[in-house]
Amino acid sequence: MNTDVTRREFLATVAAAQGSFVLGFWMPVKAHAQTRTPASAPAGTVWYEEPATPEVNAWIVVAPDDTVTVRIAQTELGQGVWTSNAMMVCEELQCDWTKVRPQYASANRDAREKAPAWTLAVPGNGATDPKGGGVPTFGTRDRTGVAGIPDSLYRRMRTNAASSVKDGRYYLQLAGAEARERLLLAAADLWSVPVAELTARNSIITHARSGRTVTYGRVAHRAAQIPHPHPETIAIKPPDQWTLMGTEQKNLDVPLKVTGQTVYGIDVRLPGMKWAAVKACPVYGGDVARFDFDAVRDMPGVRSAVQFPIPDPALTRGRIFSGGVAVIADSWYQARTAIDRMPIEWDVPPEHAAVNTAMMRDGLLAAIDQPGQVRVNQGDVDAGFVRAAKIVEATYSTPYLARARMEPGNATVLVTDDRVDIWIGDQSPQETRFSASTITGIPEQNVYIHLCHLGGGFGRNGNGPQAEHAIMIANAHRGTPIHMLWTREQDFIGTTYRAMGLARLRAGLDAEGWPIALDVRTCMQRDGFGPEASFDVTSRYHVPSYRYSSHTTRFHVPVGTRRGVGQAAHEFYRESFMDELARAAGRDPYLYRRELLARTNLPYKADMIKALDMAAEMSGWGTPLPRGTARAIALEERGAEAEGLATISAMVHTVSVSRAGKVRLERVDVAHDTGFGLVNPLSVKKQIEGQVVWFYNDAMHQATTIADGHVVENNFDTFPLSRIGENPPEINIRFFSTGHWLMGMGHDRATSVQAAIGDAIYQITGKRFRDLPYGNHDLTWS
Amino acid sequence: MAFDLVVNGSTHRVDADPQTPLLWVIRDHVGLTGTKFSCGIGQCGACTVHLDGRAVRSCSIPAATAIGKPVVTIEGVSPDGTHPIQLAWKEFDAPQCGYCQSGMIMSALALLRERPHPTDADIDARVTNACRCGTYYRVRKAIHLAADLMGK
Repeated sequence: MNTDVTRREFLATVAAAQGSFVLGFWMPVKAHAQTRTPASAPAGTVWYEEPATPEVNAWIVVAPDDTVTVRIAQTELGQGVWTSNAMMVCEELQCDWTKVRPQYASANRDAREKAPAWTLAVPGNGATDPKGGGVPTFGTRDRTGVAGIPDSLYRRMRTNAASSVKDGRYYLQLAGAEARERLLLAAADLWSVPVAELTARNSIITHARSGRTVTYGRVAHRAAQIPHPHPETIAIKPPDQWTLMGTEQKNLDVPLKVTGQTVYGIDVRLPGMKWAAVKACPVYGGDVARFDFDAVRDMPGVRSAVQFPIPDPALTRGRIFSGGVAVIADSWYQARTAIDRMPIEWDVPPEHAAVNTAMMRDGLLAAIDQPGQVRVNQGDVDAGFVRAAKIVEATYSTPYLARARMEPGNATVLVTDDRVDIWIGDQSPQETRFSASTITGIPEQNVYIHLCHLGGGFGRNGNGPQAEHAIMIANAHRGTPIHMLWTREQDFIGTTYRAMGLARLRAGLDAEGWPIALDVRTCMQRDGFGPEASFDVTSRYHVPSYRYSSHTTRFHVPVGTRRGVGQAAHEFYRESFMDELARAAGRDPYLYRRELLARTNLPYKADMIKALDMAAEMSGWGTPLPRGTARAIALEERGAEAEGLATISAMVHTVSVSRAGKVRLERVDVAHDTGFGLVNPLSVKKQIEGQVVWFYNDAMHQATTIADGHVVENNFDTFPLSRIGENPPEINIRFFSTGHWLMGMGHDRATSVQAAIGDAIYQITGKRFRDLPYGNHDLTWS
Repeated sequence: MAFDLVVNGSTHRVDADPQTPLLWVIRDHVGLTGTKFSCGIGQCGACTVHLDGRAVRSCSIPAATAIGKPVVTIEGVSPDGTHPIQLAWKEFDAPQCGYCQSGMIMSALALLRERPHPTDADIDARVTNACRCGTYYRVRKAIHLAADLMGK
């Protein structure tokens, strides 16, 4: 088949589809050098396009009408990166914010081009230098893109670890500054005046001496031709000079999200596109034994079926998913109807099929009693227990948890003989690029990923093989664009889980009730991202003798990065236990924590105490509440236990429990660290509000169980999501500034909901529950 | 089998099995993708549209049910995003990922048409759409603002 002809036909079809909702920017590879604008792009178009005006640098294009296109290398999945990344660029660019248009950066160019040298050296003194670049982390070079590609054009195209601001701030500000300086140089060149006599503001360059002005749009073409002679001398603005950063900006993608125009991956339509519905073996590690396509071949719209193997673990971070089969049809509903009727027999590993949740829990309980990896051993823990006046011990557990993003996994893939195009919402396009190349044998330089907004992410867009499934199916249908869409049920199977976890905490208290020895054991299956998070640094609260060991076992359920990774579970264990210790000591849980923080030498202990004090004060801590209502407090910090970046908050949750056992989160009071400054405080508030809901669901409702080796809860009828009626009517957020750069906002905020609801239930009902979710327990009282 | 559907005031000739869920006819035959698929079992409400003025979960009703009845989707709320409910949503910057918001807005709009000044309890009872990002705090405020704006 002559694929060039195919491409011409393809483009002709695109041209004929003017006005309908079809993408028209697809370019034949041989025409790559020519500039093209989209022929019929819909209003929600977010894809990279070759600019009509030469770019100033890889982040910025200024059109003659002063429209500024800012390339975004992270994925918008609700966290506001579409806006905050643009703010960081525009803070320095000094452009008209009303004319800023974000657009996704090209993962293909990222495979072809290296990062400009001037972005590589980060100035300043790490976490605590307000004039510096902070502490971006890019990992070591890893061609799969998992750890990072530190010298590719956009370096980090991942959207994870709450790191988009932390890792992007320095070079995004710098990109804006470099472009501004070059626009000034272009104006100086135009007027033959010294650049030092020029000022830039709101996309207008002014030469005060002669009274001349010129817009960015008029000199952008010239700026594109003028490199900066000494880009290494360009400095970014410290927070005290910010004018756009630090202000509440409404998110630039919101207007299209209230009209239905936003294009998510599921909304992609291409000429000649066919749809694929997928069934993978429900038991991980299983494969297709046989299927009978003949039974459905004649159903309306049905075209073909294709079997695909267990995705290569080298492409899925070592996780073992399942083999499966896809049915391809003219519409997705036809494909889905056919695959539901198609007889499929599975080949299931018997050792996996025998597994259920109770066995797994027993496995964790057995492992936690075995010698683990001792990560901290300070003082003499055993002697401390001998001297203790009272010993408190508790075992907590957290279940497997799915992300359950709203948009089911999907990707649209067109493979031809020398090029792959993928339309996908993806938290890790560099990994997907590598997968596409590995599966098709087509070099990464010929893989084009057209990023879409994501309908929720919460961890590499599912951390599962949606792209790999779609690429394998499309690779078997070269020349035809294939839109693969998972059912909700397949989406639950096709994801990694937050690992089931267990913790046993044992403390020896002195006669005053203060801990003198603490032994912490946590247990999660191997590969359960962050299983030792933060306990391996310190106990957080002061104790003279402290031992921490982590314990692991092996299970077949693939686990990965779900919002909060291991830390969220650990915060539940630790803060729950602090409440239990305070109660055992007969002391106020707020003041008990406060005193134990004051006794530490943690680098940010003053900030942590401030957070506790502020949240307690906001909540009216200690003032009377009606019977059936209680307050509980907890600290949340990420990173602050080490000398580095930190995000610190404390929350007081006011919780009611009816006699019938109905829990209501009535009010949340939040004291939150801003570090040196928040980029977009409005987005930060939304992140906090949203994570209150997230951890409320973790605490009250959600659990994934395993039966006969497969996931049981595979839709929202069995894996419930809270609704507006359960939401706290009052969320009060107050910020306080601190002397460090923030670690991030996208996870580990509001983890306190978990322990706080538990302690409130205890205060109201007298019952202490240590196994999440609380909704599984009898919470009635009289 | 071909049949006619009236969506957002326009008549569309649809060549599909009339038992196809209304959602898929709207998305794939009429070509309006603002209405979303998420659970497919009428649980989450991402697919909410108005059928004959009532909010329905379009993933779980056959398109045949809609023959002869007006269907309104998020695209039909206003031509330019200036309906009071859309203004209120923008004022509070309510959406995060936005995937559930079309359905959320359609549910809230049906409530507001029926009860121009809903109480919080009315909202709890009628806006039962799921949002995984947790936008509920702002959605509630936006519904009350929309009620004020629509009353003017």
